[in-house]
Amino acid sequence: MTVADPAGHSSRRSMRFSEALAGYGFVAVPMVLFLLLNVFAFFYAIYISVWKWNLIRGPVSFLGLQNYADVLSDPTFQKAVENSIYYTVIWVPLTMAVGLLLAVVVNQKIRGQTFFRAAFYFPAIASSAAITMLWIFMAAPDGLFNAVREGLGLAPLFSLFGFGPNQNWLGDYHTALDSIILLNVWTTSGTFMLLYLASLQSISHEVYEAAAVDGAGPWQAFWHITFPLLRPGHYYVATVAVIGALQVFDQAILAGGPNGDPNNALMFIVLYLYKTAFTDFNFSKAAAVGLVLFVIVFAATLLQRRVFGGEPAW
Amino acid sequence: MRRFIAVLVAAFIVASCTGSSPSPSSSAPSGAAGSSSPSGGGGGGWDPTSISGPAVLSGWQSSPAEGNALTQTLLGFQSTYPNIKVDYEPLAGDYPTVMATKFASGDVPDLFYVDASYAGTWIDQGYLAPLDDYIQKSGFDTSQFFPGYASIFKGADGKWYGFPKDGNTIAMAYNTDIVKDPPKTMDDLITLAQSLKGTNGLKAPLCLNPGLDRGLAFLFAQGGSLLSDDGKTETIDSDASKTAVQWYMDLFKNGLGMTASDMGDGWCGDSLGKKNAAIIFEGGWLDPSMVSTYPDVKYAWNVMPTGSSGSPVTISYTVSYSIGAQSKNKDEAFVLLSYLTGKEGMTKWTEGGVALPSRSDVPTPQGKDVLVSESSYAKPGSGFMPGYNDVQKAFQDAFTAQIQNKTFDAGPVVSATATAVTKALSQ
Repeated sequence: MTVADPAGHSSRRSMRFSEALAGYGFVAVPMVLFLLLNVFAFFYAIYISVWKWNLIRGPVSFLGLQNYADVLSDPTFQKAVENSIYYTVIWVPLTMAVGLLLAVVVNQKIRGQTFFRAAFYFPAIASSAAITMLWIFMAAPDGLFNAVREGLGLAPLFSLFGFGPNQNWLGDYHTALDSIILLNVWTTSGTFMLLYLASLQSISHEVYEAAAVDGAGPWQAFWHITFPLLRPGHYYVATVAVIGALQVFDQAILAGGPNGDPNNALMFIVLYLYKTAFTDFNFSKAAAVGLVLFVIVFAATLLQRRVFGGEPAW
Repeated sequence: MRRFIAVLVAAFIVASCTGSSPSPSSSAPSGAAGSSSPSGGGGGGWDPTSISGPAVLSGWQSSPAEGNALTQTLLGFQSTYPNIKVDYEPLAGDYPTVMATKFASGDVPDLFYVDASYAGTWIDQGYLAPLDDYIQKSGFDTSQFFPGYASIFKGADGKWYGFPKDGNTIAMAYNTDIVKDPPKTMDDLITLAQSLKGTNGLKAPLCLNPGLDRGLAFLFAQGGSLLSDDGKTETIDSDASKTAVQWYMDLFKNGLGMTASDMGDGWCGDSLGKKNAAIIFEGGWLDPSMVSTYPDVKYAWNVMPTGSSGSPVTISYTVSYSIGAQSKNKDEAFVLLSYLTGKEGMTKWTEGGVALPSRSDVPTPQGKDVLVSESSYAKPGSGFMPGYNDVQKAFQDAFTAQIQNKTFDAGPVVSATATAVTKALSQ
């Protein structure tokens, strides 16, 4: 086939065209959904956010950036941002550490490996509403948590920090946010364990064997081999975690209602958006909140790319 | 191919924009969306029996008892007006959220529940149809509604945008094994609470809410107020109001009252049922819950104790039946509305024991004498001013901070609430 014959050429071209058509056909449906639900919705939200908006009549009067100014100057929104950042800064590293620890543990060749993997992952597959309700009962003044610490004789230790025997962990605004952080460390570390486990198993045994020959103990092997080689895993887990942390909502509304009770302790950015849209019926201001959240998430993701996303340094 | 896709995308975006967003110039005065003038009456005469067609009725359903009571009432309607076919579709999920999607899509039920807390917003934003033309044509008697309920559903233009389907007042419920002689005044309440403190295994004598949802009744009773009589300025920052808020806060300070949450309960009804508290302040919704969850606990009702204001006062909550501005079958909906909120329909509905009548000419349902007796003087507990949700939030946040920090100072609560009221009134 060194000489191109016109007929063969055109048939190849038509084949390539029909292949391309089939390809585009396959991507068409997801692309239309992506354009409609993501791209269009995004630009439509920008459009809505600069108007006073009515559900029936649409735009009522042009506000320009007024909604953004209202949102940014609202003390409740500022508290929501503060809580979301606090939650992210504490919850992300804590959950990643617990997830990694669990992954390393269940990656060992131990008896009942499958059982432990399933047990640690179990809270992640339970419905978040159900597990939050369980947590609300456990953290109540006469709940399991207070009973257990009393039973273990830990009461004096807690009273050192000013917590009485009937501390209302979710009802007291000093402790509500930390209680929700603990809840989510518990429920999400299983998922992170699974993600880390996949990364752990991609590290070649030869590296560990070489390290062992050089006399490295398990502790050194972990810090000098496992941890650095997991860098792509860290990047992925941290990105997913930060985005999830900035969007926390369901546990907050179940434990504190749409007002982020008690005293705004459980007010997060997405909850503020929900309250603005469906309690206050102010949809354009809610759209502005959504876009501010987008900017925060986008900036956080870019920052992480700079920190974790580079090529491995070895 | 790339160009083809680009054109397709562009065409799609243009089509979506023009399809779903009316041009800014189409903004019309409030309430003008959708024609609201009756079309079926014809020549001023209004004969409801001559109207035929479907009517979709929607609301939330808080209990099976509520569903049963409404079904019984609708059977009564159906036999009186056989030409109107009622399609009852209770909405599951978060009600205002579901209704928001219905307003946006234009697929609105013909008659639906509107809670007092957001009625004002829905009226202002033009989602509800004014009823005055129908009232005039049909001669529907609105004078029988208790004013505390009815005032919520009138717009700033003075028109009706719904009729209260029922109501509930806040009264005092007490454990009759512990409290033999219910207090008549707030001073009696304090004396009794002091004598009960630390007895009978009670966590606190009273179960109280840290917000205006109950606190407003105490504020009024102790001579305080939130708004001036004309509703245009805040009065929570006055000395009288501040004293009243401090009095309410001192109940927490002195261990006479506690929140349900601090007792480990979901709400004060649980606290009464579990005997964590002897006296609570709730509405008629307590009864079905006590019967089903705590059938062995004996309790009774008494009116809200009278405070230093000297006159009996409490607060009330209500929900309306309203017709949507976009509802398709408005004539049928009004016939149904006037039956359900009329004497006959409301008698059937309140016999179900779920709520109190919002009309004075409906007989008092069994066991609801105390709550109904408060209806004539009860003031609205929500929906009486724009942006009241934010006012409640400001009060409750500041109040919670004071009791949890054990500082018990009404000052910051009053000033935070005053700021919220002024902001709400200016919008």
